Amino acid sequence: MKTPAPFVRATPFHARAAEANRGNAWSARNGVTLATVYSNADDEALTARLRVAMADISWRWRLALEGDGVTALLSRLFTRDVSKLSPGQSLKALWLTDGGAVRGAGLVARYGRDKFLVASSEPDPDWFQFAASAFATTARDISAEEGGLAVIGPYAKVVLERAGIEAALEPLQFRKLFWRGLDVTLSRWGEHGGYEIWCKPDDGILVWDRIARAGAAFGILSAGLAAVDLLDLEAGIARPDRDYQAARDGFAKAPTPASLGLERLIDADHAEFNGRSAWLANRETEPKTLVGIEIDMDRAAPHTPLLLGERKVGHTLNSHYSPALRRTIALAQVERSAAEPGTSLTLTLSPNRETPDFRTVAARVVALPFLPAPDSIAP
Amino acid sequence: MSGSTCDAIVIGGGISGLAAAAYLARSRKRVVLLEAADTLGGLCRNAPLGDGIQIPFAAHALYALDQRVVKDLRLTRHGLKFAARDMPLAVLRSDGKHLVLSSNARDTARSIALQSQSDAEAWPRFRGELFALARAMRSLWWDDQALRLGLGQQTALERLSRTGASAWLDTWFESDVLKAALLFDAAAQALSPNEPGSALSLVWRAAQEICGLQGAVAFPLGGPGTLVDALALAARQAGADLRTRAKVARLIVANDGISGVELDNETISAPLVFSTLPATETFALAPAAAAGFAHARDLAADRTRTGEAKVTFALSELPTPGGVALSLGSRFIFAERPETLAYAYRASALGHFPDEIAFEMILPSAIDPSLAPAGRHIVSALVRPIPLAPDGGWPQRKAELAARVAGVLDRHFPSLSQKIVAAEILTPDELSPSRRADVTRMLSHWGERTQTPIAGLMLCGASAEPVAAVSGRAARLAVAKALERKR
Repeated sequence: MKTPAPFVRATPFHARAAEANRGNAWSARNGVTLATVYSNADDEALTARLRVAMADISWRWRLALEGDGVTALLSRLFTRDVSKLSPGQSLKALWLTDGGAVRGAGLVARYGRDKFLVASSEPDPDWFQFAASAFATTARDISAEEGGLAVIGPYAKVVLERAGIEAALEPLQFRKLFWRGLDVTLSRWGEHGGYEIWCKPDDGILVWDRIARAGAAFGILSAGLAAVDLLDLEAGIARPDRDYQAARDGFAKAPTPASLGLERLIDADHAEFNGRSAWLANRETEPKTLVGIEIDMDRAAPHTPLLLGERKVGHTLNSHYSPALRRTIALAQVERSAAEPGTSLTLTLSPNRETPDFRTVAARVVALPFLPAPDSIAP
Repeated sequence: MSGSTCDAIVIGGGISGLAAAAYLARSRKRVVLLEAADTLGGLCRNAPLGDGIQIPFAAHALYALDQRVVKDLRLTRHGLKFAARDMPLAVLRSDGKHLVLSSNARDTARSIALQSQSDAEAWPRFRGELFALARAMRSLWWDDQALRLGLGQQTALERLSRTGASAWLDTWFESDVLKAALLFDAAAQALSPNEPGSALSLVWRAAQEICGLQGAVAFPLGGPGTLVDALALAARQAGADLRTRAKVARLIVANDGISGVELDNETISAPLVFSTLPATETFALAPAAAAGFAHARDLAADRTRTGEAKVTFALSELPTPGGVALSLGSRFIFAERPETLAYAYRASALGHFPDEIAFEMILPSAIDPSLAPAGRHIVSALVRPIPLAPDGGWPQRKAELAARVAGVLDRHFPSLSQKIVAAEILTPDELSPSRRADVTRMLSHWGERTQTPIAGLMLCGASAEPVAAVSGRAARLAVAKALERKR
């Protein structure tokens, strides 16, 4: 497995992203330079929800796995049975520590009988490298070998068809395409509906331009990291690094899948995944669960205590103003007794420039996701 | 492929395996013991070395045999007797200033005083402190398996778990010979005497008892093979099915639990499997990473580089020590200085043959004449530390090792090497190297070491002991733990 280059890498779309980045606001994610915001994060997120937006997702950590033991390896690693996948299909699942804690969440895509791709928002090379060596499998980091451009929004499919791509794909499917002279992979792996186009680094500019041109009539915008994070929050997805610290000790018992609302990514009937018995043993005793809350005021800092009456029942994670909902929303970890939608909680916000005092404000538990994925309101 | 069912399976027919089988059978479990070799006994068996000579195959003297195992399994009634119960320890030096430590306190004090007067005065105090700590440590393997520490002992043990054995001895003694002798025993677990925590292994060693004597070393009548026979008899009488030439090919694991084992042409189902194989070999029989990836990674990260070698000679005459009168029933240690062990460890860890070897030698036929026919004698030497894989490989360097041992012996037993009629060399790789002792585990709960992440699979061999030793203790505790859980 190749170790990432020590300097900050640009993505294949960087030249175009730099032109579009009016505020010159950049972030680094997984060692890749990405636009935080192109013009206005709220606009970009709303555009993705109501029209169509494109986002550079080349920062995702991607691993190609090959070898005789690869199916057995991935069945053992992931919380769902990858051996049931046919080539061209994918699934989303977790990988757990021996102690049943979440070590990562990601996607497994089957390319062939003994060929798979694993993608995740946070790298975990040590774990995969060792696991692969135990199953006579080679694991190769291919994060820098392809650029990825996501096209999100109700008009995503129309824009792709205008650009000359036959976009008939079910969610979680993927297909290799020859697109007007370019070899690309079209996938539907995203959390927010839409499509992703994966291309060779040298083709990045062409891909960006073709989508931008086809999308112009639909008011396409490029969406920065802040906008995509907002979509994640609206979809109720807890992400490693941003919302929680994934376990890095191989025997860790926390964070549990239940505390992060990630049990939907576990197939309890899949008998052989790593950490299964520890997960089963601990799931009943996990006091916390993931909920959404609406706050009647500004966003709260992560880990702000949430009170039910006088009692602390949990804390917030990431929170943000949702332009689509027109209110502040937050992910929160609360005790199961306080997880019922409609439960009224209070929290104390820190002073800021406008109100230089501590303020106690009300919040309500709501069901996740806050909003459905944008594409389900497709015209 | 035929199949059968029983209550418990024991893998390995050494001391631990036989003890586990006997304990299980006594609890009215239908138990099958599977030994891959032609005979039972593993490292403790007696092996023939031509001319009717019986040599202790690997282990030659016992110092850690669990008293409760002896009592519970009535080993004495089943034929276990000792030819020597508390062998004196003789450290031989090339300058003739030998040191003899025996159960006779006055003789010991006189012998130490020949080296250093202040050491002779410090010795009883040192023994007092060491043995008190050791007795506290012993509660780890008695009933509740928890440390019962007296005032100040907690601090003392914590301090020792960060202290190197040689540094600790330096605070007590000035005599090189005395320190070297003590360090040799502490080197049993592939730890450098300079390594932090190795002081704890001195305490561990002092916590062992045999024939009811703390810190003693004993030799069974008829060699260690007698212990094997006694245990096998105890196990058979209790109803255990002991099979040899039964090599386990695979462990059957489903849903993180064990359901049996697969042999070449047979499947045996059982909800409990006790393995006396080293942890790495045990889990190599299970599907890859069956016990978890982090667990597998921990096993793979084992950096044991040194081990023990066993050199056995058959002699045509009884060797006689040059110069002084020494009891031939002693345990002889050849290590001139504490540095001998530190340097030997360092060289071995890098895969080099040490310039100066350290070893322990006994003369089994002098202790128990029945082991060799008249006119024949046995020299049994345990060399450590020695590289697990020396430069050039063991097959090439076996003879060199034997020559080195014979060379050192010649210095103290004149012309011994001319009396050698046969030799047997057992290299560390053949001795099934034990995992490096983890001092942090030395004070941990015994039950944890026998358990594995695979439900129903227990470790009860050397892997479950903090320091590999012939004790049967891991078997006793693993069976107790498993049966308690089932109930």
